[in-house]
Amino acid sequence: MRIPCVYCGERGHEEFAYLGDATVQRPDASSATAAEWHDYGYVRDNPSGSHRELWQHVSGCRAWLVVTRDTRTHAILSVEAARDVALSREKAAP
Amino acid sequence: MADAMQPLPLSALAGSITPGRKGRRSGGPGVLVEEVRPSGIATIIARQGQTEALAAKVRLDLGCDLPLKPRRVDSAGVALIWAGPGRWLALAAADHVDAPFAADLETRLSGLASVMDQGHALSLLRLSGPRVRDALAKGFPIDLHPRAFGPDDAAITLVSHITAHIWQTRADPVYEVAVARSLAASFWHWLEASAAEYGLQIEGG
Ligand SMILES: [Zn+2]
Repeated sequence: MRIPCVYCGERGHEEFAYLGDATVQRPDASSATAAEWHDYGYVRDNPSGSHRELWQHVSGCRAWLVVTRDTRTHAILSVEAARDVALSREKAAP
Repeated sequence: MADAMQPLPLSALAGSITPGRKGRRSGGPGVLVEEVRPSGIATIIARQGQTEALAAKVRLDLGCDLPLKPRRVDSAGVALIWAGPGRWLALAAADHVDAPFAADLETRLSGLASVMDQGHALSLLRLSGPRVRDALAKGFPIDLHPRAFGPDDAAITLVSHITAHIWQTRADPVYEVAVARSLAASFWHWLEASAAEYGLQIEGG
């Protein structure tokens, strides 16, 4: 599997570390219930097909990336800088 | 000012990098290597939202454009090499006199970037010779062919399980590689084995 880092270009997956599901969002610490924390900490979907994941280019530029990957074929559908995803999410929030 | 110069840290390759010929003995050397000993090494990390202001300050003080892609720039004895988004490696040439280099940079870039002295953290090699690309291709998983990688291009990648920062300084070609000093001996072992069939000339000392 090869991942096109947004900063470095296409590299082998051995340069990257998988850092988890990019679809979950940390609950609001001031109001979240125990059940919400449980879901955030432990509950994950196991999709067959397109999935958004966090990867870090740990043996390269060290950037965190949001990689959209087909879990059946390992085809990489898109790669975004995780920083940009977080900032645009922040901007979208009221 | 000579009295402001700091002594260079002990080479991580002391004992390994003895001048002479390794591997194939017949014909001229295919690969030449020497250790690079900058008078100062630092990392520069832009503060949040300050990249543009930092670039302006670097242009004013160092006379070069901060590379925003994996590239290297060089001006007045200081090289800046892209080291990740918002991060650069700064190298002061051996005869650079604004010592101590990192402290001087920190003062100049105050409020715009964090500067950390890496003078004891990295080990640098300069590689050249007619077969240098063939030797590097045994470990560097990136394309170093001139159509893909040329003078002032830079990359960070994984060689024999070691993270290596590489950039090209000349078209003939000449490359420089930086690795963490704790891994310098391992990288050297890989290099000596990979270049052996072409004849490795170790220069300086
Ligand atoms: Zn990268």
